[in-house]
Amino acid sequence: MADDIQDFAAEARAFLDAHAAKAPDPTAVTWGEGDDSMAYFSSLPPEAEREHVQRARDWQRIRHENGFGWITGPTEYGGRGLTPVHDLVYDAVESEYDVADTGVLSVIGLGMIGPTILAHAQPTVKERWLPAMYRGDAVACQLFSEPGAGSDLASVATRAVREGDEWVLNGQKVWTSVAQHSQIGLALTRTNPDAPKHRGITAFLVPMDAPGVEVRPLRQMTGGADFNEVFLTDVRIPDDHRLGDVDGGWTVALTTLMNERATVGSEGAGPVAAALSPDHLSALMRATWTWDDRALRARLAELLVEALATRHLNTRALRTLRAGGTPGPEMSVSKLMYGQNLTHAAHFVSDVLGPRIIADTGQWGTYAWSELLLATPALRILGGTEEIMKNILAERVLGLPKEVRS
Amino acid sequence: MTADETGLRELRSSVREFLEVKSPEEAVRKLMESEPRFDPAVWAQAAEQLRLPSLAIPEEYGGDGFGLVELGVVLEEMGRALLCAPFFATVVLAAQALLASGDREACARHLPGIAAGGTTAALAVAEDSGSWDPALISARAVPDGDGAWRLSGRKCFVIDGTTADLLLVVARTVAGPSLFAVNRDATGLAAEPMETLDATRAMARLTFDAVSAMLVGADGAGGRTMAKVVDVASVGLAAEQSGGARRCLETSAEYARTRHQFGRPIGSFQAVKHKCADMLVQVELAEAASREAARLADEGSAEFPVAAAVAHACCSRAYMFAAMENIQVHGGIGFTWEHPAHLYFRRAKSSQLLFGGPAVYQERLLDRLGI
Repeated sequence: MADDIQDFAAEARAFLDAHAAKAPDPTAVTWGEGDDSMAYFSSLPPEAEREHVQRARDWQRIRHENGFGWITGPTEYGGRGLTPVHDLVYDAVESEYDVADTGVLSVIGLGMIGPTILAHAQPTVKERWLPAMYRGDAVACQLFSEPGAGSDLASVATRAVREGDEWVLNGQKVWTSVAQHSQIGLALTRTNPDAPKHRGITAFLVPMDAPGVEVRPLRQMTGGADFNEVFLTDVRIPDDHRLGDVDGGWTVALTTLMNERATVGSEGAGPVAAALSPDHLSALMRATWTWDDRALRARLAELLVEALATRHLNTRALRTLRAGGTPGPEMSVSKLMYGQNLTHAAHFVSDVLGPRIIADTGQWGTYAWSELLLATPALRILGGTEEIMKNILAERVLGLPKEVRS
Repeated sequence: MTADETGLRELRSSVREFLEVKSPEEAVRKLMESEPRFDPAVWAQAAEQLRLPSLAIPEEYGGDGFGLVELGVVLEEMGRALLCAPFFATVVLAAQALLASGDREACARHLPGIAAGGTTAALAVAEDSGSWDPALISARAVPDGDGAWRLSGRKCFVIDGTTADLLLVVARTVAGPSLFAVNRDATGLAAEPMETLDATRAMARLTFDAVSAMLVGADGAGGRTMAKVVDVASVGLAAEQSGGARRCLETSAEYARTRHQFGRPIGSFQAVKHKCADMLVQVELAEAASREAARLADEGSAEFPVAAAVAHACCSRAYMFAAMENIQVHGGIGFTWEHPAHLYFRRAKSSQLLFGGPAVYQERLLDRLGI
């Protein structure tokens, strides 16, 4: 590592030592002790959910006050002006500490919407919202998917019609994470229905408290409501909240989606780390007296081979990034494997547990896995379905001809 | 010594260029029906021009002192070209067995010849069952009273066993499994070729009848030596496998781009496209697993034994998958003798089972993880 990176890592460590305690190893397990929750999506009651979001905001504010709120951001908007390598180094150091989970702010808002605003918004919007986002004041969501525009995102039908210096938005968005906590949303709208679909889209930053914005929780198959439907009815947005050109919104969307792929492939912590941890799975097999079952052992080995090989893939991609290089298709491969590995793990554990995952016996660390089991179908869909990811790999990496598309 | 990224790229491209000229498909097809199963002139050139046999042998024994990372690059290229050569048996199995034995005298006697390309060697462990588990070995060695030993028994699946100048043989003594060196021309040694699924890799059955042998390493230390050798050799094999798998993927993608049916390139059909994407995923994982294991070996990391088991399992699976799907993407033409797809299929299956196959390597991984 270069000297300045080492100095930066030391500075991060000093900051974290002063503000947080060291985290316990998430993969270490003592059977029967501690929290056995395997929830992938938060399934907190509303009061606890609000506290969770507040803790995220508080920690982001402390990061920001100490120069770690937006490491790669330009200094004029409250950023630190450093490189993605510094960002990775900070994340690696922070992962050793027990700090609030800031996912509600960072995954969509700071990770994807922030860079998009920076690249495409007008100065007034950048000044108004970028510092607020990275200070933890503003949560941002992505108003992209619609009932009729899922994998085929460019077919969005929410209309935006110009009236003087304003635009009037009407339509429905769906699968919107964190909308219920958001101050702003990045919306893709149809501004020219006559143009080819990629060339008739315009992007706007929508203040979520604007009249006509209605957020309704969307209950998903886990039973919780982590996503939302967002209805836009005659929502008036000033033209200076437009990102990119009129009818140039697809370019804006691509910026967001590029940043999404970088975020989604990461390995994760908490229940995810536990589900793929050899120690955790072996403790489970011992506790259920299945550790010498040959059929289960063979499946465990297969599962761990894929999980550990994926970890090696991530390690190597990260090392390439740190050395200033550009990884190849590793991020897309990693995202695909992430969904597959967790799916395999959840089904493997189900088969180890047998009836204990179909009805709650009260035994620690058993029925709790049903939460992960029910979450896994989402992992093969969100952030681009497996099928779309495979199209991307085949077309962009292997150079296969494009699908026939309308 | 360690090569940086640029050094590794240069190594790869010089080996690839060499193999494109010296080991094109026609040469592979000719050699797999010849005896010996390699071209001595090409082997000599690989040693003289590219110094390949000396690459990963320590400098004190006449080598260039590079590690498994560099060796892995060479093996990926050889796997890709299906090179018929005594490289795997000599450099990956036998030389690593000498090094793992810790016997400096034996290393000093044999490794300089291997490094220079003059000596080829083989490692004979498995017997009729095919198992590499030293506990299952029944070949025996007894002291002959003059400081040497007399070795008797049978060995099977010995790669390059009919041609290697030097044979390293695991046999049982009173102290347990032990490693021995036997000369090709020793009295009482008989070698017959075995018919092999993968004709690019020659295998032999060896019979030892009170053959004169030298102990390598400590008497009874063969089990420990073999545990190390299997880790290193399975990472070497993994590199070969990932190179072969990458070649299958490239061949399939090329065919899917150019072959037309129903008026369109078949690669525009999602069923074919997704098959190719699945191959890519497996190949990327295989490369990551084998390269990372090699890196951990060179760093002397405590994580190496687990990584070696992961690489062996991951690359075995990936290569077999890629070789099967390569034939499927090609359709009927892929099932012909003239098309090279079956050569990769044969190599993939033979490599997957060389050290015992899934049942063995899955348990080895769980064992290494303490499960």
